[in-house]
Amino acid sequence: MIDPARKTILWVIATLALAMLPQLASMPPALLLVALLPLAWRVGAEIYHWKPLPALVRHGATAGGLAILYISYGDLAGRRAAVSLLSIMLALKMVECYRTRDARLVVSFSLFLCATQFLFTQGIFMPVYGGLTVILALVTLAQLQRSEAWSHAGPAPAVRASILSELGFSTRLVALAIPIGIAFFILFPRLSSPLWGIPDTTLDSKSGLSDSMSPGSIQNLFMDDSPAFRVQFSGNVPESSQLYWRGPVFWRFDGRTWKSSFYGRNIEAPEVPEVTADSWKYTVQLEPNERNWLFALDYPASKPDDTRLTMDFQMIRDQPVIQLTEYEVVSNPDFSDSPELAGSLLPQALELPEGSNPRTEQMVFEWRRQTPDDEMFIRRVLQHFNQEPFHYSLNAPYLGQHSVDDFMFDTRTGFCEHYASSFAVMMRMAGIPSRIVTGYQGGWFSTLGDYLLVRQSDAHAWTEVWLNGKGWTRVDPTAAVSPERVEQGSLGALNAPRHVLDYGWLRGMRNSVDIVQQRWNDWVIEYGAGRQSRLFEPLGLDHLGPAGLVAILFVVMLVFGAMVFPIVMRIKGPSSSDPVQKYWRKFLRRLLQAGYEARPSDGPIEVARSASKLLPASTQPIHRIAHLYSRSRYAATPPPFIELKQAVLAFRPNKKSA
Amino acid sequence: MLSSTMANETSSAGQRFDSWVLERVRQRRGATELPLTLEYRQIYVMPTRFGLWFGLLLALTAIGGLNFNNNMTLMLSFLIAAVGQLTTVLAYRNLAGLRLEAIRAKPVFAGETARFRVLFRNPEERHRFAIEAVSPEDRDCTDIEPQNTIALTLGQLSFERGWMPMEPFRIENRYPLGLFRAWSVVIPRTQCLVYPKPATTPPPLPKTGRGEHGAAHRGEGEHFHGLREFQTGDPLRRIAWRTSARHQKLYSRVMESPSEEACELNWYLMGSGDTEEKLSILTAWVLRAERRQIPYSLEMPGAALPADLGEEHRDACLEILALHAS
Repeated sequence: MIDPARKTILWVIATLALAMLPQLASMPPALLLVALLPLAWRVGAEIYHWKPLPALVRHGATAGGLAILYISYGDLAGRRAAVSLLSIMLALKMVECYRTRDARLVVSFSLFLCATQFLFTQGIFMPVYGGLTVILALVTLAQLQRSEAWSHAGPAPAVRASILSELGFSTRLVALAIPIGIAFFILFPRLSSPLWGIPDTTLDSKSGLSDSMSPGSIQNLFMDDSPAFRVQFSGNVPESSQLYWRGPVFWRFDGRTWKSSFYGRNIEAPEVPEVTADSWKYTVQLEPNERNWLFALDYPASKPDDTRLTMDFQMIRDQPVIQLTEYEVVSNPDFSDSPELAGSLLPQALELPEGSNPRTEQMVFEWRRQTPDDEMFIRRVLQHFNQEPFHYSLNAPYLGQHSVDDFMFDTRTGFCEHYASSFAVMMRMAGIPSRIVTGYQGGWFSTLGDYLLVRQSDAHAWTEVWLNGKGWTRVDPTAAVSPERVEQGSLGALNAPRHVLDYGWLRGMRNSVDIVQQRWNDWVIEYGAGRQSRLFEPLGLDHLGPAGLVAILFVVMLVFGAMVFPIVMRIKGPSSSDPVQKYWRKFLRRLLQAGYEARPSDGPIEVARSASKLLPASTQPIHRIAHLYSRSRYAATPPPFIELKQAVLAFRPNKKSA
Repeated sequence: MLSSTMANETSSAGQRFDSWVLERVRQRRGATELPLTLEYRQIYVMPTRFGLWFGLLLALTAIGGLNFNNNMTLMLSFLIAAVGQLTTVLAYRNLAGLRLEAIRAKPVFAGETARFRVLFRNPEERHRFAIEAVSPEDRDCTDIEPQNTIALTLGQLSFERGWMPMEPFRIENRYPLGLFRAWSVVIPRTQCLVYPKPATTPPPLPKTGRGEHGAAHRGEGEHFHGLREFQTGDPLRRIAWRTSARHQKLYSRVMESPSEEACELNWYLMGSGDTEEKLSILTAWVLRAERRQIPYSLEMPGAALPADLGEEHRDACLEILALHAS
């Protein structure tokens, strides 16, 4: 029986299975079956010698698979659906893959499948996945080549002793290729604008903040530990209480949900803050979220090119963020936003649904009568939150039709959106213009990497009130209830773990490990046309065009080739597995150096006889080695190998001339 | 298991390219002098059809990566491309330094397949993998261990008697991944001697003339010589049934052909007829006489051999027949 590991087709299946792995993880269960069943059948067919399936069954399976694909995805336009289609077609191909050509096709497309996975995520584990897939594919291609070459000359003998050394060969090949790959990666000219359109959706679902806020929406994000963005400051670093990352701003309230206003989204900021010495200058590396907005600290004074700054000081991009995006911002915290509020905006900032929350409204009227001053009134409401038994908790009970009433008087337990919403409603009841700002608050500062990591769980909602003369002013009612939220971050404010695996040390470790991802993003994922053109600035070559880059690439390849070619040519193949033979050859080489060339047909006795004639001084060791060699080869009880080895190593014949 | 199709051999474009290269080599270097050590001068490296297709797929992947500015896709494409580039060196290295020592072929009868044995020697300390010899009609493959000599066999169908030159062939390999093929063209001087095709139903041996040397030859003769114990392989009709029955043991009769009997195979005594047909009959007679151990002499225009037996004599006769100028 043939060793199963030597069966080339099993390598093909393994390559395909590995390449499909991330795609399988995202597939609906029914489709998973379609993808795995053919592979399982083929493995079984190889082991138990099943006959190939009849064409009718194969075509039926393909049609069934496509039907399940269509039902699972609804339409086939999405990118996930397209890649799933490729995956199941390749899997079904395995049922009828009996030719080298077909097997090569499957391996090639497995590599392509691997490449498509990077469109969905470029996380830190993806290079490991890519590397392993490439190595396995290379082993498989090597096996296919071997069986093809030997197809006319009987079964191919195994080249290497074990599977491990097969993998080792491919790994070495990849390792040698890495420098060339990197040179190409760095120097191959990039496109500054895409050749064809980029689809709007590539992710499995939109993530992060949404374009509306209702009770519970930020609470859900709180469970999500994935990074939202990373920030590197150059120069001043803000205090943690100033780290309010501004996202979508909401004006309209329907009693339950906050939504943005047309003006706030579409009107340009009337006045852009100045860049001052105290401004914060920083670079944000935003994880893809398929939304149009970018995040910045209050108030963005300069913005990236393809974005606009709205009246709400929100940065809106023309294209949704579908891949890791880096941008630079300068924020001026001392700016005052709209000291004069336009008359048309005032009603919008005060609008409330009719007849809702009567209990709160009555309380606000009462307080307002006692404290007519705006700022005094705000302080009074915050005091109320602080002193009454309000709780900052994940387990917020459901709120009824009068959500603010229920929250203010009954449940008194909630998350930041409950406080922000109730506060904004109370302000509007009191005649103070207010709006909701969502975004992120805080972050974890990596001292090792010198950057700030903001996770989805740092999502936050706060309130802005408009005060005459001061303009829009940030008020965070959550801070009144739970100052720890702002001081220590969202996780510091909770006493209970969010889920069973939520430990402090685990979170800490995850934060520390994030630096690997950050560096990966920074050096690899974010490398593009811009950075490429600045690459040679230190050498005095600024803004190299594609031609210049290609020229440098060419030179690098030449130099590298001149260095590597001799090395590759000198590398020996797998060394002989026979140590006795190895040392005998070593002995023959030493004889050659001394001037004696053994004929290939000579056995050890002839070699010893004629070599000692030529080198009479070394007669004794020559005969001893020949004797040891022939005894190792032919004697019933061969001498220990070490004797031959030592004798050969000690053999230093004098040169012929001596 | 996987079966193989030789995509490269069936493609007409590939074939045209190969014959173009062959023509150029023939013009520039003529026939190959043996022994030949393969060097960069003789080794060509070109992508295989699979290699071209794979490269196209890789290029499309890279363009996609460029368009979406997806650096990992780009990195993957570049890495695989670099691996592919390295395999050209490996394929070249697998051939470089290989010595083609000699090519031999044993004579065959017309219509049989001549087997050219191409002797390779690997003088270096490294393995060589899946070295292939490919002729228009046949192919063979082998690994060659360090410091080892090994022969590859290429079959070539013979049609007519005489010297059949070996067709040009390629020494090639697609090691390690099948993306590139490194090859060298050999235009051998080796020829294979092709004997005439023996006639299938020749007339009986002409039993004229007398043997001039030697004693009686045992074996296939027609005269009884004695008995011996049965040995495997003795024909059934030789078994001496009566004697065997008496002794409860099988005995075979040993026959001999009398020494005075010899056959004279003479071209001039065959009358007029088609030359090739006559040569065929003579060939069949030589073989039959040799099998029956009847000494035979051969007389041809311009050549004559006295009566004798044995392989050497037979081959000498057959060679005369093969090279008979018509």
